[in-house]
Amino acid sequence: MSEKIRYGFYSGCCFQGADERFFQILQDVFAKVDVELELIVDAVCCGSGVIEERSELTSLAVNAKNMAHAEQMGLPLYTPCSTCYNVIANAQKRMQEDPAVHAQVNEILAEQGLEYKGTCKITHTLWVFAQDVGLDKLKERITNPLNGLRVASYYGCHTRNPADIQGYESADNPTSLEDILEVLGVQIVDYDTKDDCCGYHLAWPNNKLNMQMTSNVLEGAHTKDVDMLVTSCPLCFKSMDGTQAKALAQTGKNFQLPVLFLPELVGLACGMSAEDMMLRYHGVPVNIRL
Amino acid sequence: MNATITPDRKSILANIRIQRFTPGEHKSAFYDNFKVNVETGMTVLEVLRLIKNTQDSSLTFRAFCRSKICGSCSVRVNGKPLLACSTQLMPILDDFKQESVIIQPMRNMPVLRDLVVDIDPVIEKLAKMHPYIMENRGRIPETLEQESLMSRQELTKFDYITDCILCGSCYSACSAASADPNYAGPLTLGKAYRFSADVRDSFKGERMQAAVDQGLWSCAQCRKCINVCPKDTRPAISIQRLRKMSIDDGIHDTPGSRRAKAYTDDVAKYGQVNKPMLPVIVNGPKGWAAIEAADNYLIKHGIEPTHQVCTLDGQSSTQKIYAKVKELESRGENKT
Amino acid sequence: MLTYDILIIGSGGAGLYAALESRSEEELRVGVLTKIYPTRSHTGAAQGGVNAALANLDSTDTWQDHWFDTVKGSDYLADQDAAEIMTREAPMVVREMEHWGCPFSRTDEGKIAQRPFGGASKPRACYSADKVGHVMLHTLYEQGIRHGVNFLNEWQVLSLMHDGTRCQGVTAINTQTGRVHTINAKAVILATGGHGRIYWTRTSNAFGNTGDGTAMAYRAGLPIKDMEFIQFHPTGLRRTGILMSEGARGEGAYLLNGLGERFMSRYAPDKMELGPRDLVSRSCETEVREGRGGPEGEVFLDMTHLGKERILEKLPQIRELCIEFEGVDPIEEPVPIKPTAHYSMGGIHTDINGQTEIEGIYAAGEAGCVSVHGANRLGGNSLLDILVFGKRAGKHALEYARGASFTPVSTEQEERDTQMINTMMDGKGSGITIADIRHAMGNLMAEKVGVYRNASDLESAISKLADLQEQFKQMRIQDKTKAFNTELVSALELKNMLDLAEVVTAGALERKESRGAHTREDHLERDDKNWLAHTMATQGADGRPKLEFSPVTITEFEPKARTY
Repeated sequence: MSEKIRYGFYSGCCFQGADERFFQILQDVFAKVDVELELIVDAVCCGSGVIEERSELTSLAVNAKNMAHAEQMGLPLYTPCSTCYNVIANAQKRMQEDPAVHAQVNEILAEQGLEYKGTCKITHTLWVFAQDVGLDKLKERITNPLNGLRVASYYGCHTRNPADIQGYESADNPTSLEDILEVLGVQIVDYDTKDDCCGYHLAWPNNKLNMQMTSNVLEGAHTKDVDMLVTSCPLCFKSMDGTQAKALAQTGKNFQLPVLFLPELVGLACGMSAEDMMLRYHGVPVNIRL
Repeated sequence: MNATITPDRKSILANIRIQRFTPGEHKSAFYDNFKVNVETGMTVLEVLRLIKNTQDSSLTFRAFCRSKICGSCSVRVNGKPLLACSTQLMPILDDFKQESVIIQPMRNMPVLRDLVVDIDPVIEKLAKMHPYIMENRGRIPETLEQESLMSRQELTKFDYITDCILCGSCYSACSAASADPNYAGPLTLGKAYRFSADVRDSFKGERMQAAVDQGLWSCAQCRKCINVCPKDTRPAISIQRLRKMSIDDGIHDTPGSRRAKAYTDDVAKYGQVNKPMLPVIVNGPKGWAAIEAADNYLIKHGIEPTHQVCTLDGQSSTQKIYAKVKELESRGENKT
Repeated sequence: MLTYDILIIGSGGAGLYAALESRSEEELRVGVLTKIYPTRSHTGAAQGGVNAALANLDSTDTWQDHWFDTVKGSDYLADQDAAEIMTREAPMVVREMEHWGCPFSRTDEGKIAQRPFGGASKPRACYSADKVGHVMLHTLYEQGIRHGVNFLNEWQVLSLMHDGTRCQGVTAINTQTGRVHTINAKAVILATGGHGRIYWTRTSNAFGNTGDGTAMAYRAGLPIKDMEFIQFHPTGLRRTGILMSEGARGEGAYLLNGLGERFMSRYAPDKMELGPRDLVSRSCETEVREGRGGPEGEVFLDMTHLGKERILEKLPQIRELCIEFEGVDPIEEPVPIKPTAHYSMGGIHTDINGQTEIEGIYAAGEAGCVSVHGANRLGGNSLLDILVFGKRAGKHALEYARGASFTPVSTEQEERDTQMINTMMDGKGSGITIADIRHAMGNLMAEKVGVYRNASDLESAISKLADLQEQFKQMRIQDKTKAFNTELVSALELKNMLDLAEVVTAGALERKESRGAHTREDHLERDDKNWLAHTMATQGADGRPKLEFSPVTITEFEPKARTY
């Protein structure tokens, strides 16, 4: 048995409450590739970029706190949520660029005996699989290659924009998701709307626009006759699976496109069952041969 | 010393695939392929000009300053909007590991011919945003005997946006603009912030209302605009700042401002956003329909709905952060 | 027929300022016609500063100091009354820009920041980081939106019309539709910018700086002035001509020839790379002429010895320029450069109100020549020129248009222009292309009418330009689509450039002295006795330029040797 890869796990809001199953799935799938998650205790919500609309300093301090806890654990901060990744990485960059702000944030954290040193490494599911685990090892663990499955790959926005939010791969031509999918055996299908935003973050202030944007992405993939769309972002998953019916009804479209969260597909390829992956909770039934 | 200088260059015979379309002549857009010897040092614009000069003089695109300041030559290369004049082609070929690129007109604007789009709709949206200073006589002297005084700190608030060259790259990249033709778009809201943040201006109120009316809360913060802006004007950041400004100025009755308040307060209270109740918090009683729909979804999948907020365990210490920020802000010491 | 009380051609700083000045609360119809969109104009490319003796940095600075610096910089060819007006009004127009929201950089006290500039005795260039032209242009455009200025975007002018004494208007083609229109106007302000593109790729200018207004005025019989004076900048990027500022040399960059030698030791052993602009330009040119250039006739600006750290810290923008436009990282290798045509001192002859000899026809900015720049423009005075004289032209045109009536015009010119365009579009032609002629013109001008000039080169240039004019007549446009025919626009621009290139060359041949930017190898000294005079060119009946000379206005400063 090879050595375990360990991360400080920052859950955000997508892996608890009604979505708690995703935490289980993630742990089970990661176990297949020798990854262990250790919960970051005392974490708080990243604020989703919305807190900035009241106070940027508060947002920076909250996320510096999250990183400071990971630093204390001596582990990289791993978050499966692309928005959490974006907000935390952005806070990191902001403090790197402005030492005065960094110092002020630490002044705030000092009141709870914390210091954000700036050494915390942040990562996301994409790079856990594609780089830390590595494609070779992932390939070894595949027992059920998904040959022939036509898949539209969808990164969503928050692991990609802005370009300097990540140093893992090309910003204009990221390939981690496709690299992973290729190892799983699927056939990747290009489509016009793959770089569009699903609008998840408009769900509350402008639901109609959120539904239109989600519908646009889905339709782009659907016209290429794919079996499913796979996304590395849990929020995109919610928008495109959970609210797919509403989005398509609002825009007068009549189709169903199964949407999978990347770890689910990895799990299936690693021999786990649809039951293990709890696919029955999907909004759009996943009725395809797997 | 005295060695002959022979700069390191390479050259690839590349396939340049260009979208063509002339309204009235063609039914729909199509692609032409041009073979070009791309050398290190060649910009996308040089390649386009080379094709026009030597292969097809009818290839139509805009270009003027060819030095990244006029904003005429925006096109999409492999899907990404960029300035043709300031983008080297060889690194793109390397990045995509291909000997071929695809060049298309910007999105979200009608094509006039080939790579030329009609930018008037964007300019019209901009014009509706009152994109100019209306003199604040508290700051601007009546006569030309004196300039107005402005500190560097005051200038820094908006100076970065004055780099904007109205190239439209952000507008092309914006999915919200694709989905909603009435949405003002990134550059326009960025400009709204630029003028409203200028102490010499007196028109913030009207401009803010124009911003709210034209989609201040329709930006999904996907941040593609930051990515594609050739001048690093960070429109999505300006939109966040404009949102904050609107809330600080007392515009509290929009779904977006209610969301901002809810998120901020919830994180202090629970360490987490009270997601189950958000629809009602943001949209008032009519939000119950969304909550019911969510409940039904859960019931259908065999999950018992609770309207219980989740918490994250850092909640107690979060309150200390808020208190300290408040203290710093009250002393005017916020460094962000 | 379209009618405007005042029609402004060109949407750079001069055109937009004129539009704001001539906008009226009364019912006067003012339009700005531009071949691009206003904010694309070349004004935006100006980086350094706009001169005004605000005395914010040096309290002893006065407009009189600025006046003298301008006259001296012009090598005494500027009209001193005009330079006086420009420098005296400078603080007002700069403050007006500031009041309109222009984001100037600030001093510690919050005043407009100023920096030292070549040729200026005091630090008086008002700046906004490295983008002052850009922010000025946008400020003017913003105020234009506020005041409802009427824009005709993407229209290309064809001909200027007058009845011998009064303005009638212009003909122009709407590029988006391809249709030719007659526009009747009481007043026309030509603010079409310079003509640096006669050097084609050997210029720092935008593609569109083709002297359209100047050529149009010349063909309409108006005199154009001091055309032989073209300012060269020593360090333009090889591929594009884009300017690399003096900053790199200030930090210690070397100029190397193709053999890797620091050749400035031959020409300025003390000052080396930091010698004056014209001397450095001439030295680069000499190296190439004598066979010591790089493979493509370039020399090199070498920063590699400065080290990565220093380049990243001190020259980040220059490095970015090299990478983006030339594909060369100056940390790793020397940057190929060539002297590049930068500014056209000459232009349409006007008085201090921008008015030409024809009532109602005005010119301002780089297209015009009052003259305030004489034989050599001072850095920071080009942006000032467009503000002061754009404003004056707008103001004067407004007063004129209030009192004047429309001068009737027929569609004869429109028919002639349509015929001319049809001829260019019809048939297969000789196979020679616009690109071929443009390329030949640019190389010819750079080689024979460039940094160095002499009688035999200039004579041969004149005959070669005549050949190119003939080739142009044989050239046929291959793109037959009417809408957005950029090949046609290029042809119209080329026609303008060929006409102006002839005037520049004729003036350079005639002027047998060296003054300011004009260096004659066969007449190396300035000759005030014979040549302290403006060159006035009009188009003769044979189509060739006819030259006359008029005196320079000297009010205060007697010509002296120009030494720094």
